Amino acid sequence: MSAQPTILIVAYNPRNLELLAQFLGEAGYQVRQASGLEGFEQILTTLPNLQFALIDISGFDQDIWESCKQLQTAQIPFLVISPYSSAVIEQQSLVSGARSVLIKPLTSQKLLGLINSLLAQQP
Amino acid sequence: MERPYLLYGLLLIVLNIKIIKMSQTQVSQYRLSTGIRGMDQLLQGGLLPNQTYLVRGGPGSGKTTLGFHFLTAGQSNGENTLFITLVETEQKLRHNATGMGFDVEAIPILDLSPNPELFTQLHTYDIFSPAEVERGPITQQIIEQVETIEPQRVFVDSITQFRYLAPDSFQFRRQVNAFLEFLIARNITVLLSSEFALQAPDEDLQFIIDGIINLESSPDERSLNVSKFRGSEFTKGRHTMRLSARGIEVFPKLIPQPYGAELSSVELISSGIPEIDELLEGGVERGTITLITGPSGVGKTTLGMQFTKEAAGRGERSVVYTFEEARETLLRRCELINIPVQAMIERGTLSVVKLEPLALTPDEFANQVRLEVEEQGSNLIMIDSTSGYQLSFQKQELTRNLHGLCKYLQSQGVTTLLINEVESITGDFRATELGISYIADNIIFLRYLEYQGGIRKAIGVLKKRLSNFEKTMREIEITRYGIKVGNPLTQLRGILTGTPEVIDNSLNNH
Repeated sequence: MSAQPTILIVAYNPRNLELLAQFLGEAGYQVRQASGLEGFEQILTTLPNLQFALIDISGFDQDIWESCKQLQTAQIPFLVISPYSSAVIEQQSLVSGARSVLIKPLTSQKLLGLINSLLAQQP
Repeated sequence: MERPYLLYGLLLIVLNIKIIKMSQTQVSQYRLSTGIRGMDQLLQGGLLPNQTYLVRGGPGSGKTTLGFHFLTAGQSNGENTLFITLVETEQKLRHNATGMGFDVEAIPILDLSPNPELFTQLHTYDIFSPAEVERGPITQQIIEQVETIEPQRVFVDSITQFRYLAPDSFQFRRQVNAFLEFLIARNITVLLSSEFALQAPDEDLQFIIDGIINLESSPDERSLNVSKFRGSEFTKGRHTMRLSARGIEVFPKLIPQPYGAELSSVELISSGIPEIDELLEGGVERGTITLITGPSGVGKTTLGMQFTKEAAGRGERSVVYTFEEARETLLRRCELINIPVQAMIERGTLSVVKLEPLALTPDEFANQVRLEVEEQGSNLIMIDSTSGYQLSFQKQELTRNLHGLCKYLQSQGVTTLLINEVESITGDFRATELGISYIADNIIFLRYLEYQGGIRKAIGVLKKRLSNFEKTMREIEITRYGIKVGNPLTQLRGILTGTPEVIDNSLNNH
């Protein structure tokens, strides 16, 4: 197990993915990226040493929730990032195992604090 | 007991030294030229170095052009400069600047404008706010450029864009403040442009900036005013600005300075016609304003030209501004009545300028006059006519502008002749219909009168501030040998009505 925790980020928008990866990389995390469902599932099947995941759901269809449930089964904590505040998305996310739902745009300092505290809770 | 006095004395000495120091720094203030002559005049010589300035204005008001003036002036002064653009691309800026005749080859431009790929790539983001993503790289680029170029002047076009890089207005103000501190600490004079709009007020910026230049434009006129200038005096008010293909020109409003030798040496200026001089008890005083008033065709312009002829005879230069009559017509008609205008023009003692209506604003006109006075040394200015002046500068306050101009001329010791046309040929007498007679020191009026079935003309003086004058009228005639004035018309009464009657002198003779 490497010293730095590995975080999976899933986002459809390549620029968003790039920014998130850059930001988390600078914060000292190992980052795995996926820009589509296939990539996401591929990473899930190989299941590398994942401690955490961030899922930006914009651009994905309902199938994303199935993949989220797999994360839940694997007991990997994750956060869902939603483009807008919606009760349906929020409920669906929590049902699928998300710890919380974040609404865009994110504040970098807040996001970092949240990830750190969630990772600290892990055994 | 002695101690307190000693301390008091010491304190006084220290205070004195401080006061002397302060006055010394006041005198030796070094100014930076803005690159615009008229604007330097407004700012008492230019901008104070190492301060921050804001140029505000709507779209197309000339903010970027002003920036080019500011930077090229620094460049020609041997300073390093830096143009930071957040809106227009470097290529476009260089193209426009070169088109206006600015030499921008040597001016570095830091291009932070959005590049076209942003649009085509669809690689926009929404995960973080722009404030979080863009600020870092932009700040980094600015710091790098400033540190490598080490400029003395920086122009940022526009600071409004920075607003989008801050999450709220508090952060924005703090960031701008910090940015300015960063530049000021490097001895840089900063000019920021601000896109002024109701949707994006910039009041917060105005508080933290040392000087504010506002650019306004209306369909008729562009103007500029300075609303703040820390550490210096400035000329208040709206000043006409011209934005052309050659850049910006500013025409400061004339503010008359008190004329030193106003009344001590009253020199009389002769009209060159003994009878008129008798009416005026010697002539008009130098540096006074004379209103020549009368109906159409009575000879007002001719009388004014007579004064210029006499001035030319003394070797003085006169300038005639004509608003209505074509220059050629005026010249030809003067030649016909023995006023050698061509010869005067050749010798440089006369200049006749025809002004096109609406081509100039009152401030521009005033500056033109000012150049004549201060650079050509003109001693006599004639404005033909006041109604033409009014028509040319529509929607402007006639009396205030004309008053300002006349007072300025007076302060320079220049004699002013205002030609004023009244509409009524005969009948009720009015000196002027424009309400400007109060400006004039002297009023000479010309009248038509009907006498024994013929039309005759009369001349008289209505007002003369500095001396007495003849209260009777005289007959005046314009012939090919010049103006001829007769003896006082003492045998007539009711001249001002236009239909005089003969006073029966035979009764007195008995």
